[in-house]
Amino acid sequence: MTIKGSLLGREVVPFMFALAALALSALLIDTLLHLLNAVWIGRYLGIPGTLLILGSFGYSMRKRKLIRFGQPVRLLRWHERLAWLGSLFVLVHAGIHFNAILGWLAVWAMLINVGSGLTGKYLLERSRRRLEQTRQRMRQQGLTGAELEERMYWDSMTFDAVKKWRSAHFPITLAFAVLALAHIVAVFLFWGWK
Amino acid sequence: MKRRWVLAVIAANLLALVSLAFVYPHLMVGPGALVRGHAELATDCFACHAPLRGAASERCIKCHLLPDIGVRTTKGAPLEKPVAKASFHQGLIEQDCMACHSDHQAPKLTQRSRKPFSHSLLGPAVRERCETCHSAPTDNKHRDLSVSCGQCHKPERWKPATFDHALLDKAALERCEGCHKTPADSLHRQITGGCKRCHSQEGWKPATFDHAKLFALDRDHDAKCVTCHTGGDYGRYTCYGCHEHRPDNVRAKHLEEGIHDFENCVECHRSASEEPGKKGSRERRKRD
Repeated sequence: MTIKGSLLGREVVPFMFALAALALSALLIDTLLHLLNAVWIGRYLGIPGTLLILGSFGYSMRKRKLIRFGQPVRLLRWHERLAWLGSLFVLVHAGIHFNAILGWLAVWAMLINVGSGLTGKYLLERSRRRLEQTRQRMRQQGLTGAELEERMYWDSMTFDAVKKWRSAHFPITLAFAVLALAHIVAVFLFWGWK
Repeated sequence: MKRRWVLAVIAANLLALVSLAFVYPHLMVGPGALVRGHAELATDCFACHAPLRGAASERCIKCHLLPDIGVRTTKGAPLEKPVAKASFHQGLIEQDCMACHSDHQAPKLTQRSRKPFSHSLLGPAVRERCETCHSAPTDNKHRDLSVSCGQCHKPERWKPATFDHALLDKAALERCEGCHKTPADSLHRQITGGCKRCHSQEGWKPATFDHAKLFALDRDHDAKCVTCHTGGDYGRYTCYGCHEHRPDNVRAKHLEEGIHDFENCVECHRSASEEPGKKGSRERRKRD
């Protein structure tokens, strides 16, 4: 019961909360814009949303050693925050009821991407927590190197799950990026910027 | 190797999706179906949109010639029923079609947020002639008016309007019932004189009439108006309309007191209980 409670409280609830907060915030802002007759603001929120999401790629670039500056852990936190906020802006932007299929595909790809990102975040945190706990416990038990290695295997498998997740997160991001780019190009091509 | 295949499949799918944007631009990229008249342009986005500059009025006017709007089709054929309302297009202060028109029909949810027509886009000459686009109302209120709509109504909306009776000619001004319903309550039912005896043109209330200032209608005088005001003339009255005050009786009583001028009763008697010379009655008369 304790383990289940812990799992629910520490992992499932924050995951669901981040997703629900995104949806509720988007609905709230969308409602406000409609009530204040300021829908045009939402139409332009796609721009800061995209810039924030682009800014969140700083972590991805650091991870792939495309850039050398910044602490990865701190960049990861900014990656989560900027991507969440950028997604919120884009969701509100999408709430201004455009009809184009390409735009909707980009929004759905973004939502899947956010879901994937949150999944990765909690997979990673869970793995790190478990690994640290196991390591501490085994050290206290005075296990030999071989025994410790064997027991640690199952935990490292969890880290493998994170790695596998990362290999899934990248194609999802790629799909989102291509669809979003196509949508942006179409907007630039046809929209009258005045 | 496996990952490379996955990426290749995803890339192929994305390429297919993006290609669809070129084949079906109206579905993939278009923000909504085109209006019926432009349906044939659905897949030819650049018929109206200039790359990177959007839709331009100059392109609209190439087909929709300004002098022909409401008169001829874009092919030059005369319209079966010329649209008189559309003639204001020739009097616009600038040619900005998109200020009012959006050829992509928006979903119902966004229709409220669309820019409405603004009268400020009209040239002064057209703006003054409301009847160019609007038909004049024929109801009682407007029938006798010969002034322009702008005297009462604002260009933004028909209501609220600010009506001033001074706009009416003298004959219409005398006929309140031409526009207003006659009140059907027991008091007004008895009155046949003009409304302005009690009411002003600025508002129905407050009404200036206060009977008690002239004569208090106490329980002994709770009578119908015509008892005192005979013939519907509320500028005159008589106290001999009831059996209590008979002319010979009143005459005798007043002569007995040495009063010879007693025709205007309310000059001295402001209520049934108030006798001339009593405290307050003289002051009250002066005040009135």
